[in-house]
Amino acid sequence: MPTKLSLRDFSLAITLVALCAVFASLSPQFLGARNLSLLLTELSITATLALGMMLIILTGNIDLSVGSGVGLLGGIASVLVFHFGWPAPAALGVGLLAGLLIWLLMGTIIVRERVPSFIITLGGLLVFKGLFWLVIQNATVPVVPGGQTNLYSLLTTYYLPPAASFALAGVVVLLMVIAAVRGRRARRSYGFAVEDAPTLFLRLFVTAQFIFLIVLVTAQFRGIPLPALILGVVAFAVHVLTTHTPFGRYLYAIGGNEEAAVVSGIPVKAVLIGSFGIMGVIVAITGFMQTAYSGASTSTVGDLMELDAIAACVIGGVALKGGRGTVLGVLFGALLMAVLLNGMTLLAVSPEFKFIARGLVLSLAVWMDVKLAR
Amino acid sequence: MSAPLLEARNIVKRFPGVVALRDVSFALRAGEIHSLCGENGAGKSTLIKLLSGLHPHGSYEGALFVDGAEARFRSLADAERAGIAVIYQELALVEEMTVAENIFLGAEPRNALGLIDWPAVYRESARLLERFGVAIAPAARVAELGVGQKQLVEIVKALAKKSRVLILDEPTAALAEHEVLILLDILRDLRAQGIACIYISHKLDEVLAVCDRITVLRDGASITTLEVAATDKADIIRHMVGREITDLFPRRPSPVGEARLEVSGLSVVARAGGRPILRDISFTLRAGEVLGFGGLMGAGRTELLMHLFGLLGRRVAGEVRLDGRPLGAEAPPAIIRRGMVLVSEDRRRYGLILDAPIGFNLSLSALGEFAPAGWIDEGREFRRNDELFRSLRVKAPTLEAVVGKLSGGNQQKVVLGKALMTDPKVIFLDEPTRGIDVGAKLEIYEIINQLTAAGKAVVLVSSELPELMGMSDRILMLHEGRVGGEFRRGEATPEDLLAAAMGQTAVTLT
Repeated sequence: MPTKLSLRDFSLAITLVALCAVFASLSPQFLGARNLSLLLTELSITATLALGMMLIILTGNIDLSVGSGVGLLGGIASVLVFHFGWPAPAALGVGLLAGLLIWLLMGTIIVRERVPSFIITLGGLLVFKGLFWLVIQNATVPVVPGGQTNLYSLLTTYYLPPAASFALAGVVVLLMVIAAVRGRRARRSYGFAVEDAPTLFLRLFVTAQFIFLIVLVTAQFRGIPLPALILGVVAFAVHVLTTHTPFGRYLYAIGGNEEAAVVSGIPVKAVLIGSFGIMGVIVAITGFMQTAYSGASTSTVGDLMELDAIAACVIGGVALKGGRGTVLGVLFGALLMAVLLNGMTLLAVSPEFKFIARGLVLSLAVWMDVKLAR
Repeated sequence: MSAPLLEARNIVKRFPGVVALRDVSFALRAGEIHSLCGENGAGKSTLIKLLSGLHPHGSYEGALFVDGAEARFRSLADAERAGIAVIYQELALVEEMTVAENIFLGAEPRNALGLIDWPAVYRESARLLERFGVAIAPAARVAELGVGQKQLVEIVKALAKKSRVLILDEPTAALAEHEVLILLDILRDLRAQGIACIYISHKLDEVLAVCDRITVLRDGASITTLEVAATDKADIIRHMVGREITDLFPRRPSPVGEARLEVSGLSVVARAGGRPILRDISFTLRAGEVLGFGGLMGAGRTELLMHLFGLLGRRVAGEVRLDGRPLGAEAPPAIIRRGMVLVSEDRRRYGLILDAPIGFNLSLSALGEFAPAGWIDEGREFRRNDELFRSLRVKAPTLEAVVGKLSGGNQQKVVLGKALMTDPKVIFLDEPTRGIDVGAKLEIYEIINQLTAAGKAVVLVSSELPELMGMSDRILMLHEGRVGGEFRRGEATPEDLLAAAMGQTAVTLT
């Protein structure tokens, strides 16, 4: 589907630029390489979770339990590594499996028992939070025994060296150009509207510049953080899933008109349960990154992350009633949320005002969504 | 004789592209029960909406008179003030409230402090219920009442507003036999108290039992008003149908092949509550054949299709075979894989993803075929979409046009295309031409011809008798969930079909 720039997109872009300008003028460190690298890591964690959330919201459902899930699944892995001395890969594997199974179970309850996802996941929010605190015994559980490194801790401490970063960026841009040109050729052969060559060139040029800019900036501080690479893989996977597979089409169809989806022979129940299963895996991945970023499982890891993920989706143009949303939009929404949180932390804004700001942004985004839905 | 209580003179009501009422005149006398009879789409519902102020003055031509003075209803409230109340098929009671609370909902008596005067609510309710001979406790919760009792509460609620004219739209559709009798008795009592009633029902026995006069509507015009004492069923049916079938139905019968769908002794009840929906239905559908299903609203036609497609009801008896193999309670994905598809009567609700493009909708049911390796082969998908887009002649610039913005006829073609994309052997078409213009209708008929010529079997459900007679090779008329009669093409007159739909085994025409 062709992307059209609307007044909404423009106003969001202007908001982002204005936000950055304010933070940069109040704090010179904001645009420093070190902070931008941190910002990129924070963005990656928020955006990964938001992409999972998009799959849920596309069908007209919602998942409020992901924030608690992030803490719980990260906590399970931490405890296995720190208290039981498991190797990190095995501990992470168990966390992933737990995420998959728990979310498949929630999806099954939602679909088979017809309990609204809002309620089941609200229950999940509390249950997972309680389980999380039980698992870590309300203590701080580091992701790695003191002074060492393991796969878990490397999640947010490994950086792809600058040379490799440039090579990777080159390959990515090349693949992107090839895909864009082939896609355009195919669309034209179908008689569909295509953007003219200069626009396409400009779009690719700007995107490529943006990618190289990221690589350049991160090269000033160790290189590309591993979470950014993980986000890249997740974003690519979700993009392919939503635009090039029957499963993805079904998500949009169910969100657009569930009754018609049933009559059209879409296995609606299986698709919904599947979308929750994927969400579970993504919650686990996000949980590992967020816990590693904190250095340890503490009782507040994951707090309110469900709201950031939902806000990122809605800001990015995912319709809460389902049926509409893109990966690119969600990435942009997550960027706005990450900038807001990072900037406020940098300015040492007190928690009171952070809460208020997050709440206002979420409400504002939903209000825009409602307005847009006519 | 004094002026009629309520009168409509030469009413013409147009909707964009359709004339719903061409010329309707109708007079209701004080203290009579007057029936409106007509086929589906004859204009009864439109007339009621006009009389009750839902279609405001100025949106129609002609005039309404109450007690001989012209009435210009701008809203439902205006009509209510004039004493006209409508009891709809879907009841408008609050289930969780008591009978008394419902009766005075929105018009609660207040005490000196401006608070609701609850003793008065219950006292007055009891008085009203008694006066109209309704044996229901004012403190009973509505949710605990049966459908028939709810109907009576609704009537008392209308009478509490000092209504002089009650309009009842199919009041007995959901009632059991004894509840019908109670309702009819109460209507007779009301008549004795001077309250007039417009009674709309497909059940001619009831109409003849309770009404004084009958006005027959046909194709948006009032045909005649009959005195019940001087008429009979055959006479009414003749007036209801009385039209030459002049429309063009280009059915070209195809050679009939082997049995595709065999249904024998099928009985189905509602999943919740166990209410019977279909009773002892048997038929065989063969390749190359169009089997028409007719019947009045609520006869079970749509329910039959929805059940066979795995969407409705629980089977309590009977057997269904698709291509010789038994069909149980499979879900739609499995049924589509076995070669049967449903095109629903409500395309916006059950047919289309309205915000999505045409192409998205067309390929939706057959996506699996385009994605043998997991991802969609978009080139192949496009070519199949484009093929159908062209052969169905969907009028839109490209496959990327949003479906919700197309006209009804073009939307219908997209739903049809989506079904055909699955390469079905059996196709259920439920009211495929409802609400679309004549040109698009003819195109749909032509598609049906092509389908049977290609050996597909088609089930056609239609409320329009001419369409049913013109396009079907065989016709089954359903009546209250049963087969009311079976007819071969050209064998039946419209009178026969309507009589079968009304549960009359035979109508002798004089």
